[in-house]
Amino acid sequence: MRIVLRKELLDGVRDRRALFSALLYPLLGPLLSGLLFGFMADKQRDAAEVPVPIVGQERAPELVGWLEGHGVELVDAPEDPRAAVSEGEVPFVLSVPEGFGENLARGTPAQLELIVDGSRNDSRAAVGHIQRLLEYYGHDIASRRLLARGIDPEVVRPVVVAQVEVASEQELAASVFAFVPMFVLMATFIGGMQLAVDATAGERERGSLEPLLLNPVPRSAIVVGKWLAAVVFALGCVILTLLCCVFVLEYTPVRDLGLSLDLTALALVGVLLAAAPMALMASALQILVASFARSFKEAQTYISLLVFVPMVPALIGMMTGLERTIGALLIPGVGQQIVVERVFGGEAVGALDFVLPMLSAIAVAAACVWLTAWMFRRESVVFGR
Amino acid sequence: MIVAEGLRKRFGELVAVAEVSLRAEDGQITGLLGPNGAGKTTTLRLLYGLMKPDHGTVQIDEVDVVAAPLAAQARVGVLPDAHGLYPRLSAREHVRYFGELQGLRGDALEQRISTLVERLDMRGIVDRRAQGFSQGERMKVSLARALVHGPNNVILDEPTNGLDVMSTRAMRKLIRGLRDEGKCVLFSSHVMQEVSALCDVIVIVADGRVVARGTPDELRELSGHRDLEDAFVKLTGVESVESLSAAGGQAP
Repeated sequence: MRIVLRKELLDGVRDRRALFSALLYPLLGPLLSGLLFGFMADKQRDAAEVPVPIVGQERAPELVGWLEGHGVELVDAPEDPRAAVSEGEVPFVLSVPEGFGENLARGTPAQLELIVDGSRNDSRAAVGHIQRLLEYYGHDIASRRLLARGIDPEVVRPVVVAQVEVASEQELAASVFAFVPMFVLMATFIGGMQLAVDATAGERERGSLEPLLLNPVPRSAIVVGKWLAAVVFALGCVILTLLCCVFVLEYTPVRDLGLSLDLTALALVGVLLAAAPMALMASALQILVASFARSFKEAQTYISLLVFVPMVPALIGMMTGLERTIGALLIPGVGQQIVVERVFGGEAVGALDFVLPMLSAIAVAAACVWLTAWMFRRESVVFGR
Repeated sequence: MIVAEGLRKRFGELVAVAEVSLRAEDGQITGLLGPNGAGKTTTLRLLYGLMKPDHGTVQIDEVDVVAAPLAAQARVGVLPDAHGLYPRLSAREHVRYFGELQGLRGDALEQRISTLVERLDMRGIVDRRAQGFSQGERMKVSLARALVHGPNNVILDEPTNGLDVMSTRAMRKLIRGLRDEGKCVLFSSHVMQEVSALCDVIVIVADGRVVARGTPDELRELSGHRDLEDAFVKLTGVESVESLSAAGGQAP
């Protein structure tokens, strides 16, 4: 068994395609999403610093003063504000129409124009920022007018909605970073994929299975060796993915989203511990499915479909959250998702949380390996149908 | 020594082997001769235990192949019908892998590998990866890994298929060498010249049955033909044009 394992690992390491998928995935997935989130963070931060292009400053000296008092830099708007906005030169233009000052002084509604292009996603943050500022300005004036008439401004605010945030900062971060568990759990499927196909369907297609089985070694030992080789690749992929995720979270602008994850070494070990049984199960499933397939290509197709298995609970987890019940913990894949999510969320994780999904995953893995060994004993499988 | 009695194997409706009994002695080369589709490969697979017979028994050095497949496989070196290589392993790694699976370790294994490298004239390719090996080179690697454990019995399924003249000669020399060491060599072929040049005993199969057995001389006598090819045609009872070309047409 150890001999088979060593040979398959050597073979796998030399297989550029296997290495490629095991190495590239962890680099690509988290780094890409890291860049994406970093980009979002940048936009949000920039929104507050965007200078405000304004037309007709002189008609509203009070507003100008108020805005400048709130740290806003005002600049003259381009010649043709509408064209400039629709072409994306500036995210928006604030225009003060004639008569704004007079209307304001008379106490009749004074109109301001905000020229925006709603189809531009990249200017949304900046537009939102200026809108909020202008609303504040309006509230400010309203309050002062009411006070001047001797009315408590609170009268016009019959209902106050206060958002009570119950998620701890870490939990909030975890919900944003729900993609991390998904990446980690998907890594268990992607890491050993090529190797599993190559060691089963590939072995038969190459015609090297028959000589291999001629050695006085039990079929189960051969299957277990191949399975463990795929597991090693899967775990390597998981570790790399984790490291990449940590790197992305720590060293890229993702931090500026105001979310921080306290990823201690212990938490990382916890994630690994939760993901390891998943790797056992993923590789066992792949070996089984690939042995069923009639050809290398067919096996590859089936196995790429298998990748969706961990995605289902991950997506549910991201959308609605997964309930932590004994039953859910016992479903392989779902249990791991819950545990990894909780470890990332900085929540307390008990021994039970680890043991239940581990047991179910190992049970599935054992069943798959046993079935594969059984198939390797069948002539119709060994010689192709 | 390989002894098979009353072998029968069916795949669904198709009867691949109907009734085959044979005996391959130590120190002899036994040839399994028959036209394509006669059941040679299936018979060999039954002999080396990758397939279980529906009926009948196989013994290799008195070890029952069905009851104790692993013990039997340790006593036999096989060049099977499919002998693919791992494109990313070198020739040496192939042989080492199979040697380890056969239970060899350390110096004994390395010694054995270098002996085989000498014997099969593999020095030029031993540390190259199998990707891009020629037919002859692939055959050498397959043979080396089949013989790494020094088995007393050697089964070769169409060993000269696809080889050029030089490689075929080398293969014949090797087969004779194994015989002279006192090993039991059993090989299959549909090539008349090959079998008549090499074999001490010929077993002719057709349609899953043994139709004749004996030394080349005995077979000539039995059929009443001086030419072995005519004898073969007569004995297999397949005298239609396609069968003729299948049996003799591929001879070099």
